[in-house]
Amino acid sequence: MAVARAFSVGLVGVDGHVVQVEADLAQGLPGLTVTGLPDAALGEARDRVRAAVVNSGQAWPQKRITLGLSPASLPKRGSGFDLALAASVLAAAGVVPAAALEGVVLLGELGLDGSVREVRGVLPVVLAAARAGFERVVVPAGNLAEASLLPGVWATPVASLRDLVALLRGEQVPEPPAQPDPPRPTPPVLDMVDVAGQVSGRTAMEVAAAGGHHVLLVGPPGSGKTMLAERLPGLLPPLPLEHALEVTAIHSVAGMLPPTQPLLTVPPFQDPHHTATVSSVVGGGSGVARPGSASLAHRGVLFLDEAPEFGRGVLDALRQPLESGRLTIRRVGGTAVYPARFSLAMAANPCPCAQRDDDCSCRPEARRTYLGRLSGPLLDRVDMHVDVPAITRAELLAENGVGESSAVIAERVAAARARAAERYAGTPWRTNGDVPGVELLRRWPLPGAASRPVEDALDRGMLTARGFGRVVRLAWTLSDLQDLDRPTHDVVGMALGYRLGRVRTAMAA
Amino acid sequence: MTPGGKAGTDGGAPGEVDERDRWARLELARLVEPGSWGLHAEVEARGAVEVREALASGARLQGLSGQVREAAAARAADLDLAEDRRRLERCGGRVVVPGDREWPDAALLWSPSDGSEVRRRWAPPLALVVRGPWNLADLATRSVALVGARAATAYGVHVAGDLGRRLADRGWAVVSGGAYGVDASAHRAALDAGGAPTVAVLACGADVAYPRGNDRLLARVAEQGLVVSELPLGAAPTRSRFLVRNRLIAALSRGTVVVEAAARSGSLSTAHHAEDLARVVMAVPGPITSSMSTGCHELLRRPGVALVASAGEVLSLVGELSVDGSEPERGPVTERDALPAAARAVLDAVPVKGGAGEATLARAAGVPVLVVQQVLPPLMVAGLVRRSDTGWCLTPLGAGLPVPAR
Repeated sequence: MAVARAFSVGLVGVDGHVVQVEADLAQGLPGLTVTGLPDAALGEARDRVRAAVVNSGQAWPQKRITLGLSPASLPKRGSGFDLALAASVLAAAGVVPAAALEGVVLLGELGLDGSVREVRGVLPVVLAAARAGFERVVVPAGNLAEASLLPGVWATPVASLRDLVALLRGEQVPEPPAQPDPPRPTPPVLDMVDVAGQVSGRTAMEVAAAGGHHVLLVGPPGSGKTMLAERLPGLLPPLPLEHALEVTAIHSVAGMLPPTQPLLTVPPFQDPHHTATVSSVVGGGSGVARPGSASLAHRGVLFLDEAPEFGRGVLDALRQPLESGRLTIRRVGGTAVYPARFSLAMAANPCPCAQRDDDCSCRPEARRTYLGRLSGPLLDRVDMHVDVPAITRAELLAENGVGESSAVIAERVAAARARAAERYAGTPWRTNGDVPGVELLRRWPLPGAASRPVEDALDRGMLTARGFGRVVRLAWTLSDLQDLDRPTHDVVGMALGYRLGRVRTAMAA
Repeated sequence: MTPGGKAGTDGGAPGEVDERDRWARLELARLVEPGSWGLHAEVEARGAVEVREALASGARLQGLSGQVREAAAARAADLDLAEDRRRLERCGGRVVVPGDREWPDAALLWSPSDGSEVRRRWAPPLALVVRGPWNLADLATRSVALVGARAATAYGVHVAGDLGRRLADRGWAVVSGGAYGVDASAHRAALDAGGAPTVAVLACGADVAYPRGNDRLLARVAEQGLVVSELPLGAAPTRSRFLVRNRLIAALSRGTVVVEAAARSGSLSTAHHAEDLARVVMAVPGPITSSMSTGCHELLRRPGVALVASAGEVLSLVGELSVDGSEPERGPVTERDALPAAARAVLDAVPVKGGAGEATLARAAGVPVLVVQQVLPPLMVAGLVRRSDTGWCLTPLGAGLPVPAR
């Protein structure tokens, strides 16, 4: 047989597309051509595949070989097609039965010695294969755990090209080396109980977690803004399987999946440095864009420490994901769409010099404009504006080690989220942070007496109509946390505190 | 009658006062500049009607110098009572004279033999032209004068406004001179407070809007408070009339507060009148570097002059017993009293300086942290607390310091 085909999956972003790899062996000058939009790594597959085949003890057909990857219009990149390329050549040469390649997706990079190496993005490949109706995937042995996450897909590991040949011939395949135990979700290492003397900050994090609110922490250096933000993921409920698969897929594509943990069940935490480029935060790179921090923080927390120091472009680029929950990045190689539905946490000093009020050496306009670097449209999405004051000895003593652990807080958060989800059943929203303020006021109006504190603030010009909606959203989260049917006067008063920060920003009021 | 009691019928109580006496006194104001002891003595002895006739006819009067008599005789040609009554009607005023229920007898009673220089120099008024819907005698029993520079700084304007508002809030009439600066700010704040009415004592005719820029303010005062003058209707202000008028401001109040005054400010003369008339003299200090406050500081160096920084302190000095003068005022009583017990407990725990965290406040107030978190933001909206570097502290308003009017 002179023509054979094998199947693999190409990824654009986290979207996988089944790619058919055809091999044609024709008479003529021996040589190898790869067609169908290969990138450099895939172009080099010619040499890798030949060396691997020869070093696995098989003869390389002395023919004019054409390898076609279709759909030809789909850009293909990386080394994951090696296994499918080799298999199609071997099938065309009659080394393995061509029928054995039907209904199987092959994934893996070949070493020159014929070994099969691990690749990135196994989970999204398996997801795409399953969607396309494939029930069987062959993956590098090292990727087995990740490939086995999806029920209903039979993943077979191969350690070398010899294994693959044996597998396709229906011979006994040597047992792959034992895999580590199925993954257990590792408990979050960072616990709220460590944040001493910051009772208001801890409460704010609890509220942010319960309502899915974006949050801006403002306070002097050393007050614990970063500690608080780092502990936010630990307060969020563990990811349900559906979300865990999404998150794992993104991390897999980025090659950032920890080897011990094929399935990410803990909400991720990403904290890009303030010198980060737009590409590194929202995704980018040559060819097809790769996911950035914003996507890696999907279903978790994106933390921007020293937020005003970030490039204006980076901050503005975050507006799209905050709005739509995804990032669309266009590059020469194609358009990638990455999910990016994260909780945004930002921290900022009150002024550039970051000294205490008395010692501040900033010019007044510098103080005023510092937080103005955070653009209005961005801050518009941030419900909570939390003042994190410097910790004093008196406060440490007063607190007397009564700080609760993350586990205790997370329980309340979960209960509050359940309460909100029940209220929003049948709507597109799940948390209070999702609901537009107008809708909230229309469908779940506040009792008249409860809205007094916000009305006072409106009367005194300390709050705008827009801020009003946000306070109401926060009030619902607080009432969910306190297991109340609807916000009371006191709860609304407390919610107001998250809109009246010490440092006025573009969103304040 | 309460201070809020409206004025009786035109001119107080007709019948008790001889109407001819009333109009004669009005005419005397045209003939002789106010404050003349000689004229005062003659009127006491012979009655206003007879004195008016004597002056108009150029007759000799014992207490009056030839110069005054000549001037009076010259002015007598201009007397036109019918015109005066028309003017009075047009501006909605009335003539108040001794014997009327509205005549502030106690406030305007002094004799030259009492000793002090000012009292020797100027006699009480013979008659007052009053515009406005209140009883002057009632207001004068519960009033404080707020005076100061016309060219006041922002500080003076703020302090005058704040004091004016709070005094009016507490039911005390604010008396001032209707001028620019401190006077206008005090009147305006008192009007805006909507509490006790405000009294403008003018150095010109009660129907004259002087200074012109304050015409709308003075119209408001005449409508909602009282405009008072001892000068004839339509009279223009002169330098000497201001000085004489100042004794009336001092006399019609229980105490005088000089809010802001430069070294030789006219408002200092009001303070000296108040001192002579045994009223409480108070002054608000300013920055030592401000020349606009040197008059106040000079005043404060004198024995018997009290330094005041809040309406509460003023009231404790003029004798409102319900205000505890030993404690600095802590915000408007009404606002604080309206707070729920938990909020008050938390507010009491908030420090004046520095800052206290929420756990500290919870401990000090004896309430759960959650309560602290719930009551602080509304207190912030009320302007009583603010955030600081290290937590929460009181605002100047919360701590009872003088603050600019919100």
